[in-house]
Amino acid sequence: MNDAAAAGTVLVSTAALTQRFGSTVALDALDIQMRPGVTGLVGANGAGKTTLLNALLGLRPPTSGSATVLGLDPRSQGAALRAKVGFAPERDVLPDEMRAVDFVRHLAQVRGLPRSEARTRASDSLWLVGLGEERTRTLGTMSTGQRQRVKLAQAVASDPELVLLDEPTSGLDPTQRTEMLTLIGEISNEHSVSVVLSSHLLEEVERVCDHIVALDAGRLVADGPIAELVGDGEGITLELVDIVEPAGTVEAVESSLRSAGIDVQRTGTVLRLGGAGRDELSDRARDAVADAGARIRRLEARQRTLADLFEASAT
Amino acid sequence: MNDATGAADARAQATEADNAAQILDERYRPYSGARHGLAGAMRALDGSSVRFTLGLGRPARHKFLPWLAVVVALVPAIVFVGIATVLDIDLISENILPEYHQYYGFIELALFFFCGIVVPEILVADRRNGMLSLYLSTPLRLWSYLASKAAAVTVTLAVITVGPLLFLLVAYTVEGSGPDGLGDWLTVLVRILGSGIAIAATITAASLAISSLTDRRAFAVIGIILLLLGSQFVTGLLVEVAEMDPRIYAFNLSEMSEALKDRIFGVGPPELGEDDASPGLRISELSTLFVVAVNAAWLVAGSAVVWWRYRRIEAG
Repeated sequence: MNDAAAAGTVLVSTAALTQRFGSTVALDALDIQMRPGVTGLVGANGAGKTTLLNALLGLRPPTSGSATVLGLDPRSQGAALRAKVGFAPERDVLPDEMRAVDFVRHLAQVRGLPRSEARTRASDSLWLVGLGEERTRTLGTMSTGQRQRVKLAQAVASDPELVLLDEPTSGLDPTQRTEMLTLIGEISNEHSVSVVLSSHLLEEVERVCDHIVALDAGRLVADGPIAELVGDGEGITLELVDIVEPAGTVEAVESSLRSAGIDVQRTGTVLRLGGAGRDELSDRARDAVADAGARIRRLEARQRTLADLFEASAT
Repeated sequence: MNDATGAADARAQATEADNAAQILDERYRPYSGARHGLAGAMRALDGSSVRFTLGLGRPARHKFLPWLAVVVALVPAIVFVGIATVLDIDLISENILPEYHQYYGFIELALFFFCGIVVPEILVADRRNGMLSLYLSTPLRLWSYLASKAAAVTVTLAVITVGPLLFLLVAYTVEGSGPDGLGDWLTVLVRILGSGIAIAATITAASLAISSLTDRRAFAVIGIILLLLGSQFVTGLLVEVAEMDPRIYAFNLSEMSEALKDRIFGVGPPELGEDDASPGLRISELSTLFVVAVNAAWLVAGSAVVWWRYRRIEAG
C-alpha cells in the first residue's frame, strides 16, 4: 500500500495552517483537503498560492497549524516528501547554457534516480511534453512555451506521486495555454500523476481541474470537487437587443417580469432572472419580450462560475 | 536433413535475437526502482558542480579559464620532470629542482586565478538563475546544498593543489629521485594530500563566503582578489615595514595556508641573513598551534558567513 492510499486517498490535508510574515497573514487557518486528480489552486496574485505550495513542500515551516502531504509531515519528513513530489516554480529557473535533456536528467538525479535511469527518463519526459525532437537544444534558445514544458518535464521525470505546478501557463499565449492545460490533463489521466495546478486564471482552472482550492488574501474561499462548485446554477440569463424603436423595451420587459413576481437583476440589457423554475422563467421571459416588442439576443440557463464564488466571498 | 538442420539454426538464431532484443523507446512509464535519497542528491549536485566548475558540458568560453589554471599549475611540474629526465642527475639533492613543498609557489598563481575567476560562479549562478529554489524543492536542504557545492570546489581546487605534486612524486620516483623506501614515500604522499586538501578547503571557505555576499559575479571576483592579494600587501606592510607583531599575518590567508603547508612538510624557517626580512622568516616565529588555529578559524569563519548569508536568503 502506498502512502497516498494509507492516507485514505487524501493526498494533501491541512489543519488550521497559518503563515504570517510580520503583520501580514499570508495563510489564514486553512483547512483543506486535496484528492487524486488535478486540483486547481486558484486565487489572485498575492492570495497565498505560492506560500501554500512552499508550506506543502516543507520549504518554510508554518507559523501554526499542520499539513500532511502523501501521508508525510513536511516539517519533519521534508526530504522524504520532496523525493516523491515534483515541483515546477513560477519563476524562470532554467540555466540558458544547459541542454534540455541534461537539465531534466540532472534534476531527476537530484530527486534520487540512478544516473542511467535518470538519463532514460529525461528523454521520455521530454517526449511526453512534446519536446522529444528538441531535447538536445540549449535552454537559452527555447521559446517561453518550450521552457514551460521543460519545467513540466523536470517535475515529472522522477515519476512523482504528486506534482505541484506554480502558474505553469505564465507567459503563454492562448494557444500555448490550451496545449499546456491539455498536457497537464493527460499526465494526470494517463499516467496517474496527481497535480496541483496553481493559477490566477479561473477559466483555465475550470477547464482542467477535478477539484479546486480557492484562496483570497490567504483565506479559504472554496474547497471541493469542481462539479459541485461550478456548473448549472439557478435561474436564467436573458440578454436583449438594445433597440431604438419601440423605445424602452428593456425597461418594459423588466417591469413586466417584476410584476409577475420574478426576481430580476438588471445590468444594461442583461437581465438575470430567478425566483422560479427554469421552465416558468423561460415562459415568463418569452411572454414579456413578446408583449414589449423586444428582441432577444441570448436566453440561457445561468452557469455558476468560480468568479461567482469569489464574488460571494467578497460580499 | 540439411533442411531440418538449417531450420533449427534459423530458430536458434531467431530465439537468440529475441533474447537480445531490447525496447529502447518505452516512453514515459512508472518507475519502481531504487531511489538514492539525500546521498544521491548530494552526489548528483557535487558531480554536476565539478563539471560546471571545469566548464565540462558548457560552451568553450567557460572551459578556457579553469583549464588555463590547471595548465598553469601543471606545466612547471612537467618542465621539471623533463629536465630531470634529460639531465639524468639527482636534481633534488642538488637543489636544482624544487622539493615538493617548494612547488606551492608555482601553484599559487593558478590557485588565485581559479579562486578569483571560477569559484564565484558556482554559487552566484544558482542564485541568479533561480536554480537554488528548484534545488531546495528536492531532497536537498540548505546545508546539504552548500556542503555539495563546497565539496565540489574543494575537489576541483585539490586538482590544482594536489595534482601537480602527485605528478612530481610519481615522476621523481620513476626517474629515481623520489623518496627513499616505502615509508618515506608514503610520508610524502600523506603530506602532499594533507597540505593540498587543507589549503583547498580553507581557500574554498573564504572564496565561497565572499561569493555568497553578492549576486554580482564581478563584485565577488574583486572581493576574492582583494582577500588573497590585498591582504598580502597590507599585512606585509604592517609586519615588515611597520615592524608590528607577526601574528597580524593571521589576516593573510595565502601566507597562513602556505605556512600550514610548511608545517605539514616539517619545513623550518628559511635560511636568511639577519638583515633579511621576509614573510616566511617572520611567520616562522609563529607557533604551529597558532598557524593551525588560524587556518581552522578561516575555515570556520568562511563557512559561518556562507551559512548565515544563505539562511537570510532562505528566510527572504
